[in-house]
Amino acid sequence: MSNQKKRNFQIEAFKHRVVVDPKYAEKTWKILEHAIHEIYNHNASGLSFEELYRNAYNMVLHKFGEKLYSGLVTTMTAHLKEISKSIEAAQGDLFLEELNRKWNDHNKALQMIRDILMYMDRTYIPNSRKTPVYELGLNLWRDNIIHSGKIQSRLLSTLLELVHRERTGEVIDRGLMRNTIKMLMDLGSSVYQDDFEKPFLEVSAEFYKVESQKFIECCDCGDYLKKAEIRLNEEIERIAHYLDVKSEAKITNVVEKEMIANHMTRLVHMENSGLVNMLLDDKYEDLGRMYNLFKRVPNGLSMIRDVMTSHLRETGKQLVTDAESSKDPVEFVQRLLDERDKYDKIICQAFSNAKTFQNALNSSFEYFINLNSRSPEFISLFVDDKLRKGLKGVSEEDVEIILDKVMMLFRYLQEKDVFEKYYKQHLAKRLLSGKTVSDDAERSLIVKLKTECGYQFTSKLEGMFTDMKTSQDTMQGFYANHPELAEGPTLVVQVLTTGSWPTQPTITCNLPTEMAALCEKFRSHYLGTHTGRRLSWQTNMGTADIKATFGKGQKHELNVSTYQMCVLMLFNNADRLSYKEIEQATEIPASDLKRCLQSMACVKGKNVLRKEPMSKDIGTDDAFFVNDKFTSKFYKVKIGTVVAQKESEPEKLETRQRVEEDRKPQIEAAIVRIMKSRRVLDHNNVIAEVTKQLQSRFLANPTEIKKRIESLIEREFLERDSDDRKLYRYLA
Amino acid sequence: MGIQKDIVKFNVGGRIFQTTATTLANAGRDSFFGALFDDNWDLRQHQPNSSQEFFIDRNPDCFAVLLDLLRTGDLYIPSNVPERLLYREAMFYGLIDHVRSAKWGPFDGNRLKLSRSVTGRAPGDGTAIRAGPDGGCCVAHGSMVHVFDWMLEEHPPINLDYQRVNDIGWVNAENVLISACERLGKGDGGMGLFNSSTGDLRHKFNVVHDNQTKSYTAGALSFSPDYKIFASCKGRSNEYGIGVWDQVTGKQMDFFYESPGWSLGDADKLQWLNGSNCLLVATLFPRKDNCYISLLDFREKRMVWSWSDIGALLTVDEKRVRDAIAMEECNSICVVNEYDDLGFIDLRINCGSVRWSSRSRLLKGKMPDEPCYPKLALHNGQLFSSMNDCISVFCGPDWVLTSRLRRSYGGSICDFSIGGDRLFALHSEENVFDAWETPSPPII
Repeated sequence: MSNQKKRNFQIEAFKHRVVVDPKYAEKTWKILEHAIHEIYNHNASGLSFEELYRNAYNMVLHKFGEKLYSGLVTTMTAHLKEISKSIEAAQGDLFLEELNRKWNDHNKALQMIRDILMYMDRTYIPNSRKTPVYELGLNLWRDNIIHSGKIQSRLLSTLLELVHRERTGEVIDRGLMRNTIKMLMDLGSSVYQDDFEKPFLEVSAEFYKVESQKFIECCDCGDYLKKAEIRLNEEIERIAHYLDVKSEAKITNVVEKEMIANHMTRLVHMENSGLVNMLLDDKYEDLGRMYNLFKRVPNGLSMIRDVMTSHLRETGKQLVTDAESSKDPVEFVQRLLDERDKYDKIICQAFSNAKTFQNALNSSFEYFINLNSRSPEFISLFVDDKLRKGLKGVSEEDVEIILDKVMMLFRYLQEKDVFEKYYKQHLAKRLLSGKTVSDDAERSLIVKLKTECGYQFTSKLEGMFTDMKTSQDTMQGFYANHPELAEGPTLVVQVLTTGSWPTQPTITCNLPTEMAALCEKFRSHYLGTHTGRRLSWQTNMGTADIKATFGKGQKHELNVSTYQMCVLMLFNNADRLSYKEIEQATEIPASDLKRCLQSMACVKGKNVLRKEPMSKDIGTDDAFFVNDKFTSKFYKVKIGTVVAQKESEPEKLETRQRVEEDRKPQIEAAIVRIMKSRRVLDHNNVIAEVTKQLQSRFLANPTEIKKRIESLIEREFLERDSDDRKLYRYLA
Repeated sequence: MGIQKDIVKFNVGGRIFQTTATTLANAGRDSFFGALFDDNWDLRQHQPNSSQEFFIDRNPDCFAVLLDLLRTGDLYIPSNVPERLLYREAMFYGLIDHVRSAKWGPFDGNRLKLSRSVTGRAPGDGTAIRAGPDGGCCVAHGSMVHVFDWMLEEHPPINLDYQRVNDIGWVNAENVLISACERLGKGDGGMGLFNSSTGDLRHKFNVVHDNQTKSYTAGALSFSPDYKIFASCKGRSNEYGIGVWDQVTGKQMDFFYESPGWSLGDADKLQWLNGSNCLLVATLFPRKDNCYISLLDFREKRMVWSWSDIGALLTVDEKRVRDAIAMEECNSICVVNEYDDLGFIDLRINCGSVRWSSRSRLLKGKMPDEPCYPKLALHNGQLFSSMNDCISVFCGPDWVLTSRLRRSYGGSICDFSIGGDRLFALHSEENVFDAWETPSPPII
């Protein structure tokens, strides 16, 4: 009974087996295998897609997926081995073409095989975690063709050879190249990288190493850079034509390293054509090329910057310490401005206006301008020159440009207070002599100084302008009140506020009696309208216009200083006067008197006086006469005082002393301000903070600060800490 | 009348069909027809004039259905065509995706129709059901998980060392994640990732505390769009908290340890909130004596919002929160009690209170013998709540009851899930689950 049951069961199982022909799988596979052969042999037109698709479907459906898949691998591998042989057999240049043709054939066949096996791709492969048909085809191509011993090295050397030929100027088949590279990329990025990119980069590095060596031996810097730029662009173009875009950064890196980074120092310092020569000769194009190429390599720009900075400092130093250039302040400043303009233009045109380069330029100027302690004076003199005469016929915008440039130089100055001192003196002279060309330009500069240094810096300068304005009104009032003075000499008084002007306590000279009376009238008028004020005459700063008639009746109007007027008026009553007599009568200080006599007696064309003996210098024993033979083409003759435009050595020392003197209270004020807020601070920090606070005006000298601290301790503003002598305490 | 050039004539299993190449182009390149019309195989080569036909050795009835699908985009299966056969034919032609997307329409809770009920063979009560992204589902009973594809064909069942399953989830259409209890001392249980169609274990997730791999019990699961897996975890030495893994590498990325007096490792529900970059963790009665709901920010390792009913006075009808779901658009968390009352907690106020909706149906008295706790789900602005053997659908800003899904077979609904434009409801008594779907839109 149980036996029969078992039997039944067996019959059931047997019945199952009959449904599928035992050779079914083998037969079906043969059909498909044949089809694959036909496809590879370009014989597909006789195939029925429906039949093949159905057969492949049935194999998967009846669980022969594994057989189908492994059969595919075997068949395809066999075909690829054939293909590999025919590619190997290709001669010379035909090699790549054959490879490309076979690759196209394989791709087409792969697509058709994939169509036939679509059902397997969709169901069997994902569940059995196998490689999909298309990728399988690519992998097999890679393993059997690209990585086959004979083809791999030949392919690589062919590709590299073609690149090399193109680099040496030959024309190659770029389309073929592109297709081959694309094949490598299709096979996966690792294939492209390992089988082409890596060796390509190595060979390129070697090529550029040799080439750059050759170039650097025979080219000057500019030509070398041109060649490097061309090579770089060629490589970028090559990428666009037939390589993977991801290679661009890598190959440009190679060129940059071999052609630029490795020769950077030599290029920059190349004799007669290096960076310094480019700067000297204003070679914007070469400089721009150098900038753009060096920008690509590490430390490239900093190298250009360093060389430029040291060159700039060197030339700047020569410029400011050159004794020759110090003779003419205007020329001196003009040369500084020219230098700055030159480098501004270079940075703007060649260095793409890079911030770091601008900073380097500024720091260099700051460095060398302050090497010459007279720079503040010269800059002020330059402005003086411009505002006196240099700006005539120049448009307002151009004036602004010049002033802005001057301000640029001013910013570099460490001793801004020295500049202020000189500027005040020069401004005073301009205002009092009425020599200033443009009120607007003057004011514009003051506004600029104000924005740069603050209200304090310019308050006195502004006060000077106010004084000038008020004086005009005062004079109008004076003559309105004294109509009887319309006859006789005219007096113009400028009332200057003490403190605003760079006045020196000077002895008032003896004025001619006519003038003295007039002055007295003015004094009583002024003090009558302004109570509580004191007037003192600054005869050393005035000017006078006097009419003179010489021996042959020639009439002239002489424009002279107050001192000169006093001297000339003496000759109304005498023909011959000795130096001593003049000195006694006028009480003009000796140095001023000598200068004023010199300008009247020794300057050709202006010699209204005659002197005995005839010599260049004024001696205390000299005697003076009216020069009756004086002639001049002009009716009006301006007799300038021989004034050293620049300060003479003793004057310079004096100014410096005054500056130093002025700095003391400022340093003290800074110390007190700092200590008041900090209460306790050590010596080094005090120095540092004081320097920082004052740097907008001048660079404080540490020894001077130390002296000021000691003085403050003496006066019991501060005390030293009893434990730590380096610590100061603020005493309230 | 011009001569139409793209007419194609098929002989399918003896029946003649005529169609156009344009219609067949709707099948796409990756299909039987796509390959057939490719230049490589050029159909016309075999068919020099339209009187000649192209033979296909397949079922003509199914071909007719599929041809109509390509013509109209609509799937109509006549009663004489078995669905399974049609699917098989669609697989042959590579049109299975066309069939799936034509089979049911975009999800709308108010238009759902019962598609099928599937009876399984599991012995115990249902634990969880999860809808897959392409219309399939997986169902957990005890220690077994059954996986169904969108045709509701069953795939090999999966289990994690035959340990009790706590939660399941679809990482994507191919992978199912199972969280299970640990077995003391054996390192079994924890969390495993399975291939949904073959049932192979692909990865087992580890928990590492202080550089030591520990065995653990994994509970509720959640996923974030940036490929993270979150699971509540219980270790044996008070290593309770929320573990975070990378879906791609399978490595543990983070662990949020629970603080004393607050429950995270025992959570009933995790929900990733994309807008606020936070994870909602809810541990509810009766798993614990109290309910704890919190939002965790993993970037700052901080609990950014929390709510608990500790110390709250229990009212006469004893409303206890049984499920919670965050609704980011409304800045609130929706909760439900055992009487199917909805309540809302404001997410903008920390430690606020529950505002119960007045829509109490007071089901007291007619509770079934074996009640199931209510569950909540949110889909496209529609709120779903299961109670006993039916699912209620709520819409609008005031959450008005708009539809009710009921099928009185299989007892109470113990879990339901929405995904792949389908709703699956798992019944507790009989081993049955229902698939609800929205019919295709009307013709006009």
